[in-house]
Amino acid sequence: MPDSAISKTSAMAPARAPDAVRSRSTSLRARGEPFVWLLGGALAFGVMMIVGFLLLVLWNGIAAFFPKPLAEVRLTDGSKLAGEPTRRERYPVTPEQLGKLASAPRAAILAADGVSGRTLYRIGNYDIYNEDFRWVSDFEVTTVAYPAQLMFVERREWGPLVGSAVAMKLGNEAERPMAAFSAAAVTAAHREALARWERIRHLERGEIGRINHYLEQGRLRVRRAELRHGTASAEAQTARAAAEEQARELQKSYDAFSGEARDLRQRDATHLITFAEIGGKTKTLPLSGVVRMYAANDLHLMDKLAVYVSRWWEFLSDEPREANTEGGVLPAIFGTFAMTLLLVLVVAPFGVVTALYLREYARQGRLVSIVRISVNNLAGVPSIVYGVFGLGFFAYILGGTIDQVFFSERLPSPTFGTGGLLWSSLTLALLTVPVVIVATEEALAAVPRSMREGSLACGASKWQTIRNIVLPRAMPGIMTGIILAMARGAGEVAPLMLVGVVKLAPELPIDGFFPYIHLERSFMHLGFHIFDVGFQSRNSEAGKPMVFVTTVLLVALVAAMNASAIIIRSRLKRKFQGSQF
Amino acid sequence: MLRTYMAGALAGLLALGTASIAWAQATLDPALKDYKPTSGVSGNLKSIGSDTLNNLMTLWAEGFQAAYPNVKIEIEGKGSSTAPPALIAGAAHFGPMSRPMKSSEIDQFEKKFGYKPSAIRGAVDALAVFVHKDNPIKCLSLQDVDTIFSKTRKGGGQKDAATWGDLGLSGEWKDKPISLYGRNSASGTYGYFKEVALFNGDYKDSVKEQPGSSTVVQGVASDKFAIGYSGVGYKTADVRTVPLAARAGDACYDATSDNAYAGNYPLARFLYIYVNVNPNEKVDPVRGEFIRYVYSKQGQQAVLKDGYFPVTNLIAEQDLKAKKMM
Repeated sequence: MPDSAISKTSAMAPARAPDAVRSRSTSLRARGEPFVWLLGGALAFGVMMIVGFLLLVLWNGIAAFFPKPLAEVRLTDGSKLAGEPTRRERYPVTPEQLGKLASAPRAAILAADGVSGRTLYRIGNYDIYNEDFRWVSDFEVTTVAYPAQLMFVERREWGPLVGSAVAMKLGNEAERPMAAFSAAAVTAAHREALARWERIRHLERGEIGRINHYLEQGRLRVRRAELRHGTASAEAQTARAAAEEQARELQKSYDAFSGEARDLRQRDATHLITFAEIGGKTKTLPLSGVVRMYAANDLHLMDKLAVYVSRWWEFLSDEPREANTEGGVLPAIFGTFAMTLLLVLVVAPFGVVTALYLREYARQGRLVSIVRISVNNLAGVPSIVYGVFGLGFFAYILGGTIDQVFFSERLPSPTFGTGGLLWSSLTLALLTVPVVIVATEEALAAVPRSMREGSLACGASKWQTIRNIVLPRAMPGIMTGIILAMARGAGEVAPLMLVGVVKLAPELPIDGFFPYIHLERSFMHLGFHIFDVGFQSRNSEAGKPMVFVTTVLLVALVAAMNASAIIIRSRLKRKFQGSQF
Repeated sequence: MLRTYMAGALAGLLALGTASIAWAQATLDPALKDYKPTSGVSGNLKSIGSDTLNNLMTLWAEGFQAAYPNVKIEIEGKGSSTAPPALIAGAAHFGPMSRPMKSSEIDQFEKKFGYKPSAIRGAVDALAVFVHKDNPIKCLSLQDVDTIFSKTRKGGGQKDAATWGDLGLSGEWKDKPISLYGRNSASGTYGYFKEVALFNGDYKDSVKEQPGSSTVVQGVASDKFAIGYSGVGYKTADVRTVPLAARAGDACYDATSDNAYAGNYPLARFLYIYVNVNPNEKVDPVRGEFIRYVYSKQGQQAVLKDGYFPVTNLIAEQDLKAKKMM
């Protein structure tokens, strides 16, 4: 504020207090109010962006699984189609299209400035029509009905089917029309078919998988003996004999299991259901090939909720189907969780130890500040660079050496010599360790000097002081650093694409075979799943709901992991509250 | 050169009467064999390569694992150019590629192993040029495509096509600039399109390079004045394919299975899977069965499911014979 202004106003009204005489605009600036508004506005804008984004994702993700009605649309050319109305838009009709129309609809469109509406229907039946979605302009439509018998059928293959059920064949009985079955009988038959399918899967994956695992172990033992002692050596021959003996044993149970699976499969093939789609074609498929079916227009709210819940359950607890566009994401949830956990296990001790040394033991000089600057700069390196480093150093150099020393019998198939869970976690640990170091250093610096001196004066050694006085009080700050590192690590995808995340991982990194935790396996990740379904799937329109649902899930998973860390931190804080002055 | 080869091979197949089916129902060659699982197949397989083939490989893997629950297949798809190094390093058993290997890549492979990699022609793809569903454009020659996408115009086009008016559209389209969508350079689709549609010229700098085939289609779907190229399998209701002519003035053909088989559609190509098979040894059972599965009725049904066109039994037999599997 210019000095002259004060002198002038005070001269005019000398009796008033200096504050009151200032003109309104200057006092605003002087108090910094525009800046308060600016900062507040920026904060509000940021919060609004985040809330808006979260609402968009939540709304699309939460609504995605709710069953929609099925429309039966009769077109002006006499044909019919059936499907879920997905979205609507308005568009300018081309002169060519207008030329083909009758005069009445043409006049109506011209009256509306040549604009007409159109609806995108999810017609399903990809195996029959070679398309999943179709646009229908309003002027093409004669009638739209919502018949009660139309069903939405989710199949294991070929995506959804839209049509009505006409007949069912159970076992050796003759095929009977659908009217002959009560709703309860259909549900029971379907449930039984699904249970049979689960049993087949359990037999083939679980039981026969176990046998094959042991067979493979036997083969590897022979190979190891051959590599170590030579092909013709006595050791190799003993190993071969043992493996053959074991194989004979296993073959017996293999025959039993595969026989049961074969019988079940044969039985399964006799339980059939036939649907008629709107164009008049029929489609017969095994009852167990139907994941879920419901008459979309004939559902009460409770039925709809049941479909909704069962879809969520499938999504959370099942494996993906049809190149990841359908089914569940259990392997991806598991992979994300395991990777993040492993990341924390690596990054926490490493970061804390580094920070302790830098802050408590190292002599503060030029070298330490160079180290500190380097650590801070590490946080600014693009994450893909870490990915390249991880692939080159961890997977190829470290992993390749491990393979040659410990897993030579499996070569040329790489064990650790390719991307995997361990290498991914280590790469992300490198990426996030600066966050932990910086946060820990700050937390250590914030512990009052008087407390350390008090401890030292009582005769405690330096390590005892750190262990009993400094570290416990710095713990909440350290936890903050770990939370930040975890949040960053769980959301990072780019480096993982190089060091172990795959589109389809056949096995979870944890299973029932020794050593139970398989750190060398590649894994699926929710972030990569979003990228894959959103940008790589054949039908991007059908993949959209999956993208939103998976995003909701990833956000929820990160929030849950952060929340648990925050709860631990607040417990720690409470513990030391009483001991502060 | 490649295109003529393709056209010749595909036209020859048509002459043998193995494929002539309508578009909406590109169906299987009935001569393809049913897949019969054998016993004793287990192990791990890893595939690294094309993203165009990513879904198809996954579908094949799912089908194969249904027959052999104990085979584990991992699939990574970051682009065709990642396949040869992975095969050479032994990091992958299969290298799916949406273009044939370059001679330099084959040389590198041969230097390491002493024999050439073998190719499996797993499916036929018609590389489609997509426009927004409301775009009225009727037909484009490859020369037009070249003037749209290329800055060097090696196809002989005189004038650069910058707006839709340059391609003969009128009305609101006349002054609107063409918005270009394409693939990133690691992709085989990028390389194939450059070689055939751009006559080995260079892309314009304004092409928006996308990380996936589906992203190109999504870009075109959301941008009314866009054009892009991608495998025909990625078509959605929001875009349409433009019929193409090999030369200006020729008849235009849409990206249908008929036109692809007959060799009329100028951007038809095979999708390959490369494998490291020593010609003097038998293929190990896991990989051998996978190859057999790809060429079976079930395997080619997965091709249909993914929106591509199946190969005929003749191709299947040729390739199987070349690997001494028949």
